[in-house]
Amino acid sequence: MVTKNLVRVKVNGQDCEAEIEPRLLLAHFIRDVLGLTGTHVGCDTTNCGACTVILDGRPVKSCTVFAVQAEGREIRTIEGVANHGQLHPLQEGFKEEHGLQCGFCTPGMILSAYALLEKNPHPTEEEIRWGISGNLCRCTGYQNIVKAVQYAANKMSGEKHAA
Amino acid sequence: MLHKTSPEIGGMGHSVKRKEDLRFVQGKGTYVEDVRLPGMVYGQMVRSPYAHARIKAIRTEEARKLPGVLAVITGQDLEKAGLSWMPTLFHDKQMVLATGKVLFQSQEVAFVVAEDRYTAADAAELVEVDYEDLPVLVDPHRALDADAPILREDREEKTNHIFHWEVGDRKATESVLQSAPVKAKLDAFFPRCHPAPLETCGCVADYNSATGKLTVWETSQAPHAHRTLFALVAGLPENNIRIIAPDIGGGFGNKVPIYPGYVCAVVASLQLGRPVKWIETRSENLQSTGFARDYHMTAELAADRDGKLRGLRVKTLADHGAFNAAAQPSKFPAGLFSICTGSYDFATAFCEVDGVYTNKAPGGIAYRCSFRVTEAAYLIERAMDVLAQELKMDPVELRLKNFIPGDKFPYQSPLGWSYDSGDYHAAMNLALEKIGYRDLRKQQEDKRKNGELMGIGVSSFTEIVGAGPAHTFDIVGIKMFDSCEIRVHPTGKAIARMGTKAQGQGHETTFAQIIAQELGIPVADITVEEGDTDTAPYGLGTYASRSTPVAGAATSMASRKIRDKARKIAGHLLEVSEEDLEWEPGKFYVKGAPSKSKTIQEIAFAAYTNLPPGLEAGLEAVHYYDPPNLTFPFGTYICVVDIDKGTGEVKVRRFVAVDDCGNIINPMIVEGQIHGGLTEGLAIAFMQEIAYDENGNIQGGTFMDYLVPTAVETPNWETDKTCTPSPHHPLGAKGVGESPNVGSPAAFVNAVVDALAHLGVRHIDMPITPWKVWQILKAKGVAE
Amino acid sequence: MAIKIEKTFQVQEPLDRVWKFLSDPTKVAGCVPGAQVTEAVDDRTYKGLIKVQVGPSVTDYRGEAHIELLDHEKHEIQMVGKGQDVRGKGSASMKMTAQARALPDGSTEVVTVSEVNVVGLLAQLGARMIQEVSNRMFEEFTRNLRTQLQQERVVDTEQPSTSGNAAQPEPIKAVPLVLSVAKESAGRFLRRIFGGPDSR
Repeated sequence: MVTKNLVRVKVNGQDCEAEIEPRLLLAHFIRDVLGLTGTHVGCDTTNCGACTVILDGRPVKSCTVFAVQAEGREIRTIEGVANHGQLHPLQEGFKEEHGLQCGFCTPGMILSAYALLEKNPHPTEEEIRWGISGNLCRCTGYQNIVKAVQYAANKMSGEKHAA
Repeated sequence: MLHKTSPEIGGMGHSVKRKEDLRFVQGKGTYVEDVRLPGMVYGQMVRSPYAHARIKAIRTEEARKLPGVLAVITGQDLEKAGLSWMPTLFHDKQMVLATGKVLFQSQEVAFVVAEDRYTAADAAELVEVDYEDLPVLVDPHRALDADAPILREDREEKTNHIFHWEVGDRKATESVLQSAPVKAKLDAFFPRCHPAPLETCGCVADYNSATGKLTVWETSQAPHAHRTLFALVAGLPENNIRIIAPDIGGGFGNKVPIYPGYVCAVVASLQLGRPVKWIETRSENLQSTGFARDYHMTAELAADRDGKLRGLRVKTLADHGAFNAAAQPSKFPAGLFSICTGSYDFATAFCEVDGVYTNKAPGGIAYRCSFRVTEAAYLIERAMDVLAQELKMDPVELRLKNFIPGDKFPYQSPLGWSYDSGDYHAAMNLALEKIGYRDLRKQQEDKRKNGELMGIGVSSFTEIVGAGPAHTFDIVGIKMFDSCEIRVHPTGKAIARMGTKAQGQGHETTFAQIIAQELGIPVADITVEEGDTDTAPYGLGTYASRSTPVAGAATSMASRKIRDKARKIAGHLLEVSEEDLEWEPGKFYVKGAPSKSKTIQEIAFAAYTNLPPGLEAGLEAVHYYDPPNLTFPFGTYICVVDIDKGTGEVKVRRFVAVDDCGNIINPMIVEGQIHGGLTEGLAIAFMQEIAYDENGNIQGGTFMDYLVPTAVETPNWETDKTCTPSPHHPLGAKGVGESPNVGSPAAFVNAVVDALAHLGVRHIDMPITPWKVWQILKAKGVAE
Repeated sequence: MAIKIEKTFQVQEPLDRVWKFLSDPTKVAGCVPGAQVTEAVDDRTYKGLIKVQVGPSVTDYRGEAHIELLDHEKHEIQMVGKGQDVRGKGSASMKMTAQARALPDGSTEVVTVSEVNVVGLLAQLGARMIQEVSNRMFEEFTRNLRTQLQQERVVDTEQPSTSGNAAQPEPIKAVPLVLSVAKESAGRFLRRIFGGPDSR
């Protein structure tokens, strides 16, 4: 009765496929079908950004994307940020700079920052604040999140020089 | 006496990096919505669009027919089990699912259960309800009019009046107000706002019919209290109920009450024998769960011409919505509002509060404010500025003149509180220095000559937290002690559980630091768990900044019990008597012969392998702590704003926050708490209100309208501290999570009013939106 | 929430023809997009339906309209209407006065003043938009009215006038309404900034 579509997506480097309803949101696909619960849902009006994932290199709010729209594309979720258990400089930065408290906004926040640093490896404080302005946080007041992103930016450019 | 510990041990004062972060930065936290059980189904609420209406009929056949729908529960169904009403946390009851009538827009009317969340949503759309609308009451000032609709037909007394509460000396205050040469009166509204934690409320209720055990994963800040209430209300044996509060994505008081969604999920699980998940949407969260504030307050200050305060009179109208679901100690219908004398030495004061019902969502919870302390602090700090304006006196000078002096502590306030300790002058002076107050005032003078609008706002608040002593405090009868249980393993590692439940405050780290402080076991070797009622000792949970004052104290006391036993074992191992031993964090050594020592790890091993005769094996202790008093953190916040004359936008140029929470466990975590609370205060002062129109339609019901500041609106916060330990707390700590939300709204509002004071502005109610400011600028002829 | 809407429009038809049309509720209903008269209780009271679609969610209001005043000399009609969503998602009520008068060139001007009150989900999400959505509905109404009157003129001598539309009423699609409203709001805003006719 309910039409289902086959959708094929590459998630964190792995090919995934499933039969899903066309109205299934990408956020629910990631959480309920793929079992990757690091991506969170915090609102119902596309305001909070907790559901941010990276779709073909761009940060998107997965609650406002249909899973079928990801057909044939690549997604990175928070589970795909660490490198085989080695924390990404952003993840390290959030820990070092106390950039999280309850942790609920953190995956989305890290992915937005991830996308920001890919485009702009040396952002100013203002650019960081604008870069994460689509992600709401109720606990930290953002100050330490900014520091966390700066930590990562410094570490990553340092690593580049070392390499 | 607090020993200093090494960074490896990580006791009090160390900014130990948080242990909980490792899982959160990898997205491996377990929040309620992450819980997935075999056979799990989804529940969704059907809600009322009307603020006040009679229910004529509910038709569920279409919904039931939808493939995948397993149940549709209505109030009538619950009535058969005696569950259509449930007790609130404050001497009232509320409907679980509406029977007879609905009393607020978004009230729960039916609960649909289906195999997946999309089918549940489809089914909810198919439930049909016939309503007959009734006249709506949204203005609390009209609640007691003769022609006001009576909302609560279930109550014996047919009135919208809930309670009257008063404290202080009415006559003496009246006479002081009559005779005082200077008076200032302020009407201040603290708008209804909402804690809006980023994770909404929800649960997974799993009744196992084979074992008879009900397990509920719940977003609960007080899991034990919930378990007991479920047992009493649902008639289930308490040993067969397990509440697990896993990782919680923010609470701020929103997750203290028991919501109809939890009850319906439990009932559905009992009925179906399958796990039922209910997670509310953000709209549901904003529109139906515990709101905060909504206090209409009037303060009258009496003073001498030189600014010396003589008396304070406060009258408040409290809008509680449709049910009094305030989560607060049972003897305090207005919470701890009587802290409204603040940091000042009043000879006499009087305070009265009246609560009324309206057709709005129920509640009145403590949103990061220790039971109405935000309302009280806002009122007195705003009133002081109004008085300063009246006296043509600098608001800082007025405060310095009236602060409770150091030698008066413990201070008996005229409204009945005994403040444990405080040094308001020190906090104020540090804040003034940090912000460069004198230069700012000069700058303001110069800018005014140019027609530029700049303001400086000061707030010198006193908080009252750590509820509370058993002689005065209880919630639905359960005393407000808290607890800690510690067990040390043979290899010197430890596990500890408390009756509190963090939602981001970092207890896994800070409570480990307390144990590290007391026992010298490194923080890395201590596991802290909270939230599982099957394993954690009973406690009243985390809210009202009570964890450090109460559970923190319990942790300290339990550690000391362990240390006492450790001393016996050490004496046995070193073959000396206990009196000949000295303690330093991590080891006992023989007086005068420090090389003869035993580490806590060696002692732990001995507790299982080499005990003195007659001593029980093991190294563990539990302590239930009844605090002798509340604690009184305080501080001074100073805010500098610039107002854009073209748009009315207020820009926070600088904000200095000096907080005094006594001895600090983890400075990094305290600073994070201050940042977060100040951001919430900023939002409340400038952007947020849950408003209702005359038909009871909610106007702030989604994040499109209920604004949360982003990184762009939020300024950088400058924090500092003074330290006035609590004399009665084992660690001298006071608690701090809520201070920034308590103290900051007044600082912001005082700054804006200060910017416009020379134009004759005395007060502006929150939220101070650009539109509001621009209208004032236009009226005063200075808009661009 | 209560919203006041004042609208004036012209029809290139003589007064008596316009008045005849306006004083027939079934004909008027026929011009309101998505509306249908289902029963005439008496010559002043009518029951009807109106379908409103916001995104994928369709709301069916069922209600009653009562003509309070019908003055054939002053050409004034006063009506009150109230409807409830059949599934219980909310309600709306309206009080409307319409007055028609002849213009020197033979056409007719109709002045309407309405007070609309919306309760429920639409009032929450659509609060800002209700005024604009009502404007749009009104524009469509007047367009339909003009068309109907024109058609009537053509068939007048040949057939008796039809009452309302017999087919299933098309729901008012509020999303395209909302989008065009948003465009219009943006247009007005820009005009206010950069100058141009103020369409208030």
